[in-house]
Amino acid sequence: MRGEEAELDSALERAADLLDRARFPVFGGLLTDIGGAAAALSLAEKLGGVIDHAASAGLMRASKVMRETGGTPASFGEIRNRADTVVVIGKAPLARDPDLVEKLFPAKPGLPRPGDNKRELILLGADKAKTPKHVSATAVDSRASLPELVALLAASLREGRFDLRDTALRAKIDAAAARLRKSAFAVFVYDPAEIEEPVMHTVLEMVRHLVLTTRAAILSMAAPGNGDGVNLCSTWTCGLPIRTSFAGDVPQHDAWAYDTDRLLKSAEADALVWIDALAGDTAARPKGAAAIVLSANPTRAAKDDIVIEVASAAADHDAALFLPPLSGIGMVKAGKADKGKPTVAAVLTRIAELIDERRAA
Amino acid sequence: MLIKLTGGKVYDPANKVSGELRDIYVEDGKILAGVPDARPDQTYDIRGKVVMAGAIDPHTHIGGGKMTIARMLLPEDHQGDPVARTELTRAGCGHAVPSTHLTGYRYAEMGYTACFEPAMLPANARQAHMEMGDTPMVDKGAFAMLGSDDFFLRQLSEKKDFEAIKDYVAWTMHAAQAIAVKVVNPGGISAFKFNQRKLDLDEEHAYYGVTPRQIILNLARALKELGVTHPLHIHGCNLGVPGNMETTLDTIRAADGLPIHLTHIQFHSYGTEGDRKFSSGAPQIVELLNKTPNISIDVGQVLFGQTCTASGDSMRQYAIGKSAHPKKPVTMDIECDAGCGVVPMRYRDKSFVNALQWTIGLETFLLFEDPWRLFLTTDHPNGAPFYTYPHLIRLLMDKSFRDEMFQKLNADAQSQSILPSLKREYTLDEIAILTRAGPARSLGLKDRGHLGAGAAGDITVYKDNKDREAMFATPELVFKNGELIVKNGKVVKVVQGATHVARPDYDRSIERPLKDYFERFHTVSLENFKLADDEIVTGDKGSIVVQPTAARMA
Repeated sequence: MRGEEAELDSALERAADLLDRARFPVFGGLLTDIGGAAAALSLAEKLGGVIDHAASAGLMRASKVMRETGGTPASFGEIRNRADTVVVIGKAPLARDPDLVEKLFPAKPGLPRPGDNKRELILLGADKAKTPKHVSATAVDSRASLPELVALLAASLREGRFDLRDTALRAKIDAAAARLRKSAFAVFVYDPAEIEEPVMHTVLEMVRHLVLTTRAAILSMAAPGNGDGVNLCSTWTCGLPIRTSFAGDVPQHDAWAYDTDRLLKSAEADALVWIDALAGDTAARPKGAAAIVLSANPTRAAKDDIVIEVASAAADHDAALFLPPLSGIGMVKAGKADKGKPTVAAVLTRIAELIDERRAA
Repeated sequence: MLIKLTGGKVYDPANKVSGELRDIYVEDGKILAGVPDARPDQTYDIRGKVVMAGAIDPHTHIGGGKMTIARMLLPEDHQGDPVARTELTRAGCGHAVPSTHLTGYRYAEMGYTACFEPAMLPANARQAHMEMGDTPMVDKGAFAMLGSDDFFLRQLSEKKDFEAIKDYVAWTMHAAQAIAVKVVNPGGISAFKFNQRKLDLDEEHAYYGVTPRQIILNLARALKELGVTHPLHIHGCNLGVPGNMETTLDTIRAADGLPIHLTHIQFHSYGTEGDRKFSSGAPQIVELLNKTPNISIDVGQVLFGQTCTASGDSMRQYAIGKSAHPKKPVTMDIECDAGCGVVPMRYRDKSFVNALQWTIGLETFLLFEDPWRLFLTTDHPNGAPFYTYPHLIRLLMDKSFRDEMFQKLNADAQSQSILPSLKREYTLDEIAILTRAGPARSLGLKDRGHLGAGAAGDITVYKDNKDREAMFATPELVFKNGELIVKNGKVVKVVQGATHVARPDYDRSIERPLKDYFERFHTVSLENFKLADDEIVTGDKGSIVVQPTAARMA
């Protein structure tokens, strides 16, 4: 606290004081497991605060598109085993997971799959530099923007008329579209943090067109930092995704209004609880209001911060997390349990108890 | 603490008690035999009130991936029905698919004390149990979905030893912490992955060459021989397809004496009579079911209004996507096991099809003779959200009210239906069977669904009101394990229910081929697939009750 080391109990007391006085606290970062997310939701609700996640931007975009038009997802294992054509859109999927192609195209044969096409990878707006040798891959890359490439592919897929001066690109687009038309199970992979909503709509329209006669689906890359897990937990717990405020009588979701950065910059939020406690991930605490930082990582604390060193989920304790390879929640066993440090859930639950005690007094 | 409920009219069909004035004593969460000299710590004077065991919903979608997809999909459903936090209860929202805490509160406020999720994908069991863990007030349990999973289809097509199939079924129940097993569109979810758009009872899966009939018979026999109390819970082929009554009749005959449960049978009772080629098959189906004591059903009643359908039946959910309202269906292929489809739906009384669906459900209720083999469900939220149960109960108990509602229907649907000729009115005894004693017996819940000595103190007290909808919507008192949790239809104490599971014996050597299968095809390890007890029993989140199974038969 204030740059000095303190006992845990006294840090928790200070944190409880700060939060009990806060008018509108925001719980951000939320790099934590489902248990930590559930505790954050409970405390935010008690205090009339906001919950958000460091990777909200892509999550909110994907969520908005689903709310507008539905969706056609397939889980990772299904794609790995059964897709005959995988279209990776943009550079972000491979940047996010450099082994993505190897995971989607294992060298050994998978489960039985529809059709008898050789499996093929199409990279749309990305280069194929790192494609393993056993994978048959083509890259459709050009100076054209990603939205333009997706639109061209969608037009060609439906065999609609369109003009394109770049004949080389035209040939690649038409070949990719022809391959999609003869696919038995085509899957489009994208990162919602990279592509805009209208592009996602175009991709979904391609899937809907294909599904009239064959099978097709999308794989939206999971958000980093257990973003999808936190979002799921929020949705089942209060009925709304993250970026929900409990300040009013009833929970209210607004992807723009309840963005941590905006709330801090506008000074609408007067306290920040920043949670950064997940193995293999970290997110920098934004500047702004006085912060309570629950961190498993070395933290550069501001003068008024209360920093509570917590256990790292999946490193120091077993953790339920959204696992991208499972497209669902799995349990990750900790390498070596470190019982010396408290979990995020334990810290937030204790702070909630201390606040209850103050209010009862 | 000893509590006494004195002077109530008790309806406890499991113990053959019908409207008798009886005192009920509860101590340490359990009902005691009569204790005439007892000095209760607390007495509730409930003279003139109707007393039943806490109600049990044996088929309600309350947990698992598809429900949270539905929650994400429908901001209009959620922000249109928000609920504020109170000193006691959590905030939340949602009408057709309420958030988990609200689901628990609203069930309890309607006198329900146990709910069973009928479609848990084993691969997603962790999330399903997490959601159920966040559903307070009620006991929970879930049915593991099998029948479109590659491991089982491979076992069948390779004609593996039947004992190995039984071992796999039992292993899955342990791994997913299930109390029963459900099959959804048998083999059809997998067939859809091979672009088959329909799969009839004797139609072969394009790759595995097995038929839904084989899948049903193998799973039903496996469960019987494993000693699992609840028989195979079957969501049959061709859900929602006009003419599917023939498939349903064939499925009933196919069981050939094996115990099975046909779920949301209303959606499987459609004929092709009339100008619009859509008609009720309920009379023919129920006539056969009345002669087939090995089969139980639940109805999946459609009631009018906005809801959201959510099912593992990706094949049929894709097909009905064109009827989505609002128009935003979700279809998903999932992880070597299954799929799901989430399709928002608005049922309208002026729609010919929806009105007939309504009459078909009610015809099924009214023609079916044995209340012990029939459970009251709307297949929440598929036919309607669960809060419509009191309305449904009134439709069953009050012929004049039913006639009044019938007059509002689409005129063509009215002219086709035999409903006005059905004079039956359900009694309180029968409602107590449909909503308590029957589901408890079918699921093997020894100490739930009745008010005899040793039963859990799950008790609902109603004001005896001729308006049965009002009566069942707002119980005066609800006790969970002897604690008062609801008073005058409002939560007064938040408690956590138990999770009920069944654990039939199996030969652990089944894990050898399973381990190999997981390593080759799955994205998680076999060990990670299994859900540990301490993932369900965490902090204040209830307990696990292992319900007994009979001895395994060879």
